[in-house]
Amino acid sequence: MGFESLLKELSAKYEGKINGYSQYGCNFINVPAEIGKDVLRSLSSEFGFKYLADIVAIHWPKKKEKFELSYNLLNVDARLRVFVKIALVEPEYETVTDIWKSADFLEREQYDLVGVTFKGHPDLRRILMPDFFEGHPLRKDYGLKDRKWFNSADEQNLGIKFTK
Amino acid sequence: MENISVKDNLSEIITVNMGPQHPSTHGVLRLVVDLDGETIVDVRPDIGFLHRGVEKLAENRTYHQFIPLTDRLDYLSPLSNNLGYCLAVEKFFGVKIPERAEYLRVIFAELSRAASHLVWIATHALDIGAMTVFLYAFRERELILDMFEIATGQRMTSSWIRIGGIREDVPPLFMEKLAEFVSIFDERIDTYERLLTKNRIWLMRTKGIGYLSKEDALSYGVSGPIMRGSGVDFDLRRDESYGIYDRFEFDVPVRQEGDIYARYQVRIEEMRQSNRILKQALEQIPEGPVMTDDPRVSMPSHQEVYERMEALIRRFYLISKGFKTPKGETYACVEAPKGELGYYIVSNGEEKPYRLKIRAPSFVNLGAVNKMAKGAMVADLVGIIGSVDIVLGEIDR
Repeated sequence: MGFESLLKELSAKYEGKINGYSQYGCNFINVPAEIGKDVLRSLSSEFGFKYLADIVAIHWPKKKEKFELSYNLLNVDARLRVFVKIALVEPEYETVTDIWKSADFLEREQYDLVGVTFKGHPDLRRILMPDFFEGHPLRKDYGLKDRKWFNSADEQNLGIKFTK
Repeated sequence: MENISVKDNLSEIITVNMGPQHPSTHGVLRLVVDLDGETIVDVRPDIGFLHRGVEKLAENRTYHQFIPLTDRLDYLSPLSNNLGYCLAVEKFFGVKIPERAEYLRVIFAELSRAASHLVWIATHALDIGAMTVFLYAFRERELILDMFEIATGQRMTSSWIRIGGIREDVPPLFMEKLAEFVSIFDERIDTYERLLTKNRIWLMRTKGIGYLSKEDALSYGVSGPIMRGSGVDFDLRRDESYGIYDRFEFDVPVRQEGDIYARYQVRIEEMRQSNRILKQALEQIPEGPVMTDDPRVSMPSHQEVYERMEALIRRFYLISKGFKTPKGETYACVEAPKGELGYYIVSNGEEKPYRLKIRAPSFVNLGAVNKMAKGAMVADLVGIIGSVDIVLGEIDR
């Protein structure tokens, strides 16, 4: 299965709502958010993409669709890698943990760092930052030096006064 | 006290914290383990103690300035990290890398794999209780680190591979040492195997423990030796070939058992195959430049700078501002010792990446620990964590 034949089958199935392109040696598929989860599920069950390598959330504060998710999928047998891109207006999307188990850690990571909430995730907690961390550091409106080691409420009761 | 029967006491589920500083976790990893007696009911890894915000730092640095930070991720195989990142940036330009640089990249990547697997076998055996292998494996790793020192000047964080090639050609001494190393390495691997492969204690502690089926391996997204130990025949070097790996003959070891022993066998075989690739590379490597002369990414030589004003300006510009990449997104991945190491770069046409996401193999592999450990004994958890071959620098980023 090549990328062209996959695109042809997908756009026949979803009546041309999908557009794909190759760029710098990678294959991308743009999918509207409403059918995003359907497409991901059918890629896994019908097209053999049993391996979810990565989820990338990108923040575009100046665009109308402020968030973008990129699912890095691999078909191990056909040796084909595609990136399914879903643009979002709100930082909220459905979880894919019921399709791929690796999404558990990957979604938690994107939730922690970019602040995209995944509805239906079994255990959506921060994974890399401490629980009491404020904000999502990989958002574009979070400056490089805006970091706060302790929040202003001093929940740990360490007697630290945070000044900015 | 009288009301509590002995049976109730035993079936109570107790939560135990393993770590953050447990000797077997090789870094700052806390495992929250639910135990029923000695049987593991649930494992929840707690990570992030070393989080340095590398992805955020990347967004505030030029493409060249990020190379040293990639060393600090998987500090046991820094050159594989360099390579993955440089391949990703090179995809934007499609630059042609000189032949000699391609061969040197393969040599460095395979040496890194051998070095990383040596640390793994040493510490993994030590966790399970075998001390001798530790000393032997570190002796060979020392040889590799010596070679890195000769070539790059650094033993661990070498920052050696550049966008468009290699920083500098290796001295003749490096090639001598390499030839010496490849001639003895196979024999040394036999030594480890003699100590472990048929060792009764080793077999009892590894066979049938930490089982991960083929379907689970795919679904959990594990990569590298764990994936191949579970019967998935996939290797990025062969199946999504990058660099010049398609010119080398090597086998991809696959085992069907999916337990700790299978992962051990896969890694041992990988070291042999690395040595095979190194031997071929050593024979085929041509003379020539090691850095591309593509003006978009490469620095002009000092000679040129002295002679031509344009070269001086370009050098100044590349150092002070960096270079611009075209708009768009790209992804490049390499078969690092731990598995699929990928760099996803979003560029908006400026000198800095707009968003850089590192697909760290250990991070995703750690997600499968819960599945592997359920139902095992608490003493086996040490072996299971060891078989995942985690490096916390890479997990936490």
